[in-house]
Formats: sequence, C-alpha cells, structure tokens
Amino acid sequence: MILVAAICALALILLVAGFEMLMVLGLPVLAIKSGFFANLPDAVIAQKLTGGINQSLLLAIPFFLFAAELMGQGQIAGRLTALVRSVIGHTRGGMGYTTIGASMGFGAVSGSAPATVAAMGHIVYPELRRSGFSDRFSLGLIVSSAETALLIPPSITLIVYGWITGTSITALFAAGLGVGLLLGFAFMVLTAVEAHRTGVKGGERPTVKAVLGALRNAIWALGMPLVILGGIYGGIFTPTEAAAVSVVYAIVVEAVIYRTLTFAMLCNVAERSAIQTSVIFLLLALGSLLAYFTTLAQIPDFILAGLAAVDAGPIMFLIVVNMVFIIAGMFVDPNSIQLILVPPLFPVALSLGIDPVHFGMIVALNVTLGMITPPFGLDLFVASSSLRKPVAEIIAGIWRFILTNIAVLLLVTYVPGFTAIFSALAR
Amino acid sequence: TRLAVCAIVLASSLWSLSSAPAMASTVIKVGHVEAPASSLHVTLERVAEMVAERSGGELDMQIFPQSQLGGQREMTEAVQLGTLELTVAPTAFLGGFNPVASITDLPFLFPADPQQSQKIREGQFGKDLCESFNSSGVVCIGIWPNGRKNFTSNLPLTDLEAFSGQRFRVMESSVLVDQMRAIEVTGVPLPFGELYTALQTGVVDGEENPLDTIYNMNFFEVQDYLVISEHGAIEDVILFNPAFWSGLTEDDRTMITEVFAEVVPEMLAHKTAAAARSLDKIREAGVDIREMSAEERNEFRSVMYPAARQAYLDKAGDAGAELLKVYEAEYDRVTGQTNLNK
Amino acid sequence: MRLHEKRISSLNGVLCVVRLVERVALVSLLLIMVLLFATNVAVRQIGGPLAADLAWVDETVRLMNIYLVFLAAGLALERGKQVAVDSWRETIIARTGLPLKRIIDLTGLVFSLYLAFLSIRMARFVWSMGQRSATLDIPIAWIYIAPAIGFALLALRYCASLFGGIDRYTAAEKGHGE
Ligand code: NA
Ligand code: NA
Repeated sequence: MILVAAICALALILLVAGFEMLMVLGLPVLAIKSGFFANLPDAVIAQKLTGGINQSLLLAIPFFLFAAELMGQGQIAGRLTALVRSVIGHTRGGMGYTTIGASMGFGAVSGSAPATVAAMGHIVYPELRRSGFSDRFSLGLIVSSAETALLIPPSITLIVYGWITGTSITALFAAGLGVGLLLGFAFMVLTAVEAHRTGVKGGERPTVKAVLGALRNAIWALGMPLVILGGIYGGIFTPTEAAAVSVVYAIVVEAVIYRTLTFAMLCNVAERSAIQTSVIFLLLALGSLLAYFTTLAQIPDFILAGLAAVDAGPIMFLIVVNMVFIIAGMFVDPNSIQLILVPPLFPVALSLGIDPVHFGMIVALNVTLGMITPPFGLDLFVASSSLRKPVAEIIAGIWRFILTNIAVLLLVTYVPGFTAIFSALAR
Repeated sequence: TRLAVCAIVLASSLWSLSSAPAMASTVIKVGHVEAPASSLHVTLERVAEMVAERSGGELDMQIFPQSQLGGQREMTEAVQLGTLELTVAPTAFLGGFNPVASITDLPFLFPADPQQSQKIREGQFGKDLCESFNSSGVVCIGIWPNGRKNFTSNLPLTDLEAFSGQRFRVMESSVLVDQMRAIEVTGVPLPFGELYTALQTGVVDGEENPLDTIYNMNFFEVQDYLVISEHGAIEDVILFNPAFWSGLTEDDRTMITEVFAEVVPEMLAHKTAAAARSLDKIREAGVDIREMSAEERNEFRSVMYPAARQAYLDKAGDAGAELLKVYEAEYDRVTGQTNLNK
Repeated sequence: MRLHEKRISSLNGVLCVVRLVERVALVSLLLIMVLLFATNVAVRQIGGPLAADLAWVDETVRLMNIYLVFLAAGLALERGKQVAVDSWRETIIARTGLPLKRIIDLTGLVFSLYLAFLSIRMARFVWSMGQRSATLDIPIAWIYIAPAIGFALLALRYCASLFGGIDRYTAAEKGHGE
C-alpha cells in the first residue's frame, strides 16, 4: 500500500515538475516492475516496449498524421474553408458556423485534433474577429471545433481504442461520425446563441457563381473523405490501407493538381510527421508496458469485485468512469490516459453489459475533452503557438465549450441508442 | 453517497496492486490467443483445477486468454525469456521459432477419422514434432488437437474448378500460400484482426478456419458459402520455459504432463460440440453449406499436398525432410494405405 | 571555461552529423512505407497471383515503422516535441531555486541509457535463440535493435542538453505542437 502511494506520488511529482511524459509514464512503470514484479526478468521491459507497437492496425497512425500535415500545409484546408464559407458565411454569425463546418470537413480527412487546430487556426481567426466575434469566443471556438476531428473518421483516438480493446475499427468509425456530428451541432447551437446575444453580423449573400467557383476549387479536397470512407466501406481496403492511400492522394492533389508542393516541402512535412509519430508511439509503447502489469496484477478482477460489493450497476460505473477521465484529462495527455485507464476498465464495462462501441464513444469524448481542458490541454498549446496568443487568453474563452462538451458526453453516455444507430448503419 | 462509495472502491481497486497475494504457492502464468469461451481456454481451466488439486494447492496456474499478455510471437519469446512460464500455441504461429513445425500447415495432414488422427498424434510423429521444439529454447510437453480448418467464401465453392481465381486469406506461411496456389487460389496473408473487415469489404473472397472460429468471429455474417472440408489441422503445442520446468520436482513434471494428456478427450468433445453448435447457427443464418465427400477429399489432397510438401521441404531443410519421412510412414501405417500423394 | 566550450563545440559537430543521418533516414522510411502500402493495395486491385508475392509488405512496413519511431525520438526531444506539462516548471524553479532543468536532463539521460541497455540485452538474447520473422525470414532481433539505437539517440540529446549543447526548453516554448 505504501509502495503504491509512493509510486503515485512519484508520477505526480514528475508530472508537475515538467518532466517529459515519457518519464512521467516510464519511471513509475520501472518502479512498479522492480517493486511488484521483481522476479520477472528485466528483459520484459524491452520486449513489451517494441512488441506493444508492432501492430498492423497502428500503422494507420503515421499515415493519417502525414496526410493531415500535407493538407494542413498545402491548399486543401484553405479551399475547404472557402467552400463552407461561401455556403453559410452570410448568415448571422456565419463565420462561426464556417469555423465549425470547416473543422469538421478537415476532420474528415485528418485523424488528429492538434493538426486540425494548426491547419484551421490562422485561416479562420482573422475572419472571425472581423465578423464581430469576441477574441475569447473566437479562440475558444477554433480550439474546440477541432475536437470533432478526433471523432469524425478517420480518428487516431479510435484506432488506439480499437487496438487496446479489439473492437472493430469500422464500427467505431461509423459511431464516431454520429458523435462527431452531434458535437459539431452542439457547438453550432452555442455559436447561434452567442451571435444573437452580441449582435454579430453576417457577410454578404454570395452569388451562385461564387458558390460554384468555391465548389470547383475544393472539388479535389472533397474527394479525400470520399476516397477514405468510400474505400473502407466500399470494400476496397482496410482502414490501415486507407491511411496510406490518403497520403498518396494528398501528395498527388497538392503536387500535381495544385502544383504547390515541392520535393523540399514534402521532405520537411515527412520529417515533422515522423517526429509526431515517434512522440505518440513512445507513449503507446510505455502504455502497453503499463497495461501488461495491470493485466498481470489482475486489476479488472479487483474492480469487478469492488463494484459487486457496493452493488453498482452500469449507470453508476459510467458516472465514475466519466469523473475519473475528466479529472485525469485536466492534468495528463488524454492519449496517455486512454492507455492507462482503458485496459483495466474495458473488461469491467463488458461484464456490466456495456457495448464496446458505446464505451469507445464515451472514452473518445473524454479524450477530446481532455485536449481542451486546462491546465494541460494539448490543443490549447497548439493554438497558442500557431496563433501567437498566450495560453491564458485561450483558456479564458474555453469554459462554455467545455460545458457544452460535457453535456454531449452525458447525452452519449446515457442514451446508448444514439451510438447503436450509427454503428448499426455500418453493417 | 453510494456514488462516493463506488468511487472510493474503484480508486482503491486501482490501488490494489499492493494487495497481490503473498506467494506461498508457485504461480504458473499461462498465456494463449483464444477467447475465454474457446475449447482451449475451457480445457486449460480444467487443467488448472486438476493441477491445483493434485499438487495440494502448491501449483497455481493463472490463465491469461485472448492475447492479454501479447501476441503469440511475443508470448513464445516470453516463454524463452522466462517472463511467462507456459504458452499453448498453434504450431502455425511458430515457424519463425522452429521451421520444422510448419509441417502442420500441410493440407489434409490427418485422415478424416479422428481416432486415426489421434493415433498419429500420439505416435512417433507427434513425439518427434514435440521434441523438435526443445532446441529452440522451450520445452514441449505435448500436442493438443484444436480443430480442423474449413473453407468459406463469398463465391460458390461447388468443386475444385470453382476455387480457381478466388482470393483467400491465409496465415503468414509459405506452405499455406503454396497449398492455395496449387488450387489456383491466391493466398493473401492478412492479420487475423483485419479479416472480418476484409471479408465484408471484399478485400479477400474467402478464408479457412474451424467452424467455431467462423461462428465466434462472425465471419459467417460476411460469407455466403461454406465447405466442411476439414483440410487443415490446428495443432497446439504446450510449451514451458526450460528453467522453470527443470526447477519443478520430477513428480510435478510427470503429474503435469499426465494431466495435459488426460484432458485431450475432454477437449475433443468440447471442440466437437462447439463445432456442431456453430454449424447450426451458421446454417440458420442462411449460409450455403456442403460437406466434402471422401472422393473429393482425395481429389483436393492429390492437388494440394504435393505443392505444400515441396514448399515445406524448401523451408525446413534436412530436419524437415526427416520429420516428413516419419510422418508419411506413420500416416501409411495408421490408415493402412500407401501414401499416394507424395 | 575554454575546455567547456571546446567540449560543446565537438558535441555540436557530432550532433550535426547525427541529425543529418536521422533526417535522411526518417524521410526515406516514411516515404517508402507509404509507397509499399499503396503498391500493395494497387496490386490487389489489379488482382492475380502477384498479391501473394507481396505478403512481406505488412511485416516490412511494421519493422520500418518501429525504426521510424525510435530514430525520431532524439530529434523530437531536441525540437521540444516530446510532450511535457511545463506550466509550472518556471514557477517551481523561481520558488525553490532547484536546478530543475538539469535534474530532468540527468534523469532523462539515466532513463534512456538504462532502456538502451535493456534493449541491447534483449536483442542479443533473441539473436542467440535464432528466431526468424514469418514472411521476411530475417532475424527477429532486428526489431529490438531499433529501441537500442533510439534510446541511445535520446540519451545523446539529454546529455547535450545537460551540457548546454542544445536548448530544447526554448524550442519547446516556441513550437508547442505546431
Ligand atoms: Na478525423
Ligand atoms: Na486537459
């Protein structure tokens, strides 16, 4: 007991002191190994570190990251935004809807929320301010709209969840689309209220010709989700292969059709994507080592026994799950939390009769929420660096979006039918 | 307040790493890749029970199903390392550790009759196959029969010609790819986890698996035709870490080996019942099912076996050739016929 | 003081070479991975027996990905991309006067060296067992050589940061995510 407390304290100290997450996860894991599994050969650490990430399914991650970087740096993001604005930009608060719509559109080609913030931020921020939204609201909107990218397929979060739990990626993607649309819709409602409250103006009504022009400009960008989702659900390739195809598509569109991508740029983007891949995978590797020890210690059995002792059903269980995720998500990188919490909680959820896809949606919404909750929110930092705004200013505008997000989380948690409809559509 | 209690319980459960029991008994961690409801897992639980009873609670087998401790390659490696005491592994996954083991990938390895098959398994061939593992850093103490593979597809499988031009998913093995090539089927090695989607989306037309796998993994939902061909044997080897094994007393070693042999009939019965149940469910789902006749088996064997045999010889070298000789002699002896299809 | 500067400049020379090798390797790895996977899909669409001949693609790309992950680890640290919660770091330093950045670098150095050491031991063990991969038929030990190299590269960066050869903390402030 004392040893466990010491290990938790160690993790907390490392976290607060600003050690790399690599060590915040890694050092406690080493402590667990020597404290509780001293009789296991140390080689198990080296084995699990590589064994955990040597999976075909996970290959989707570097490819989707690469494709997102290519499109964010290139023309695709801007052209998608222009198209959405030409259609809804003229309405009252139209630039707000444009931000959400364009983030969702870019989310449909990108699996990562930080990539979406980075790609969309500098395009929409000046326009949002010009149309009359406050600085706080604009920043909050940009950061939180990007969350939909994590839910709308492709999604790296859902791939990781599928990898941990063995749930079908295809079913997760279908349900993720539903939940992502729901979250986007909730943000639109919030934007509508804000626009009416503060008297934000709309733009000029666009001509049909302008809309068609924007559509023609974005036609290749629109082809991307078609290729990814059409390819997966139309029976041409698996989600992992879809990721590789999306890279080829992005390269062809940006280099051959738009003629803006040079070889030097390609190399630069590849290098940055490799670095991002490395950061994510090192955490995945350490996470799988931690999951291995949780399994050996048979922790799910203890949780189940505990729940049985207080006679807690699925509803109670899910309340606790959400609370744990939200609190943890404030302080820790949400992808790491998924690695720590899902392995012990998933078997418990299963035995309480909770559907794996439904549980996946709850986890994914918590992960997206963790991306924007202070003090540690990855998207807040990305927005801060790409828009050159202090983190504190961004945090000031984020509260209403966090509450909206929590409302959607509760809805998805306690109305399992919502998830079920979408995952059934995939069949 | 119940919520608070619940939260505390959950937190203290996560805490409970510390309450891992003081180890009075010897723990044998067992890892395998199959589901908790599988015949393999159920039989292993029976083994754990018998081992605990006969050792007077001295030996405590903890079973980790469904790749909880890693994929099969990793678990086998862990047994070599000593981080895992025991794994029960399909030989099809072990070609990288012991190329000789790929002999079980040969199509129609065993005759249709289960009793004759068990004779071959228990005879010189089974002994030699098991022993071939002992030079790769593990101790093999027995072989378990874990079912037979059948063909399913989205295209009709009426006869040998109908197979021609189809694409089937196979496990990563050159022997399996070549057995398929012999019947003009393209063998596409895909990870098991991607198979459902691949069948659903038509990335491949068909696959080969035991009936209970076809049912449990819902492959029947995305397949229209099933031929009960029983052409492929799934053989599991029981592999111990050598240091752990030699650390046990002579009596314990004998007792464990006996228990694993004793439960084979139970495992076969469980497997047969599971297959029958699965077949009913698959039939209810409207899949077109037919059984392969004895003549047809011979016809398929005469085409597939020689090609796969050659691929095996290319891969497994002299040691493989020797085991093959033992196998073919045993096959002829048990079935009372000369092996025509070399 | 002179000696210290000299040491830093020779460290920088080493880092320059390492960086170049890493960048070339990473870009080629990622581009080839994409190419292999896309070719695999294309070949299967065209159909025919060629698809079975490309059985090695999945395993090859997985192996390349492992190298990609570990070869980029050091570069990621140097550029400030390894995730860390640095919101309170400066405050702690100001309040307590602890040489926190040095402590982090030193811990990171020991941590990386230990993991590199374990990986080398693992690679040697697996090499001695002679285990070979399923479709490529190369020694499995190669997958454990990747983390050995990766953690060594990471250790090199922690070491450089400790002795002032690189300034990863400023890099992190400038380019959170980006
Ligand atoms: Na997405
Ligand atoms: Na957060």
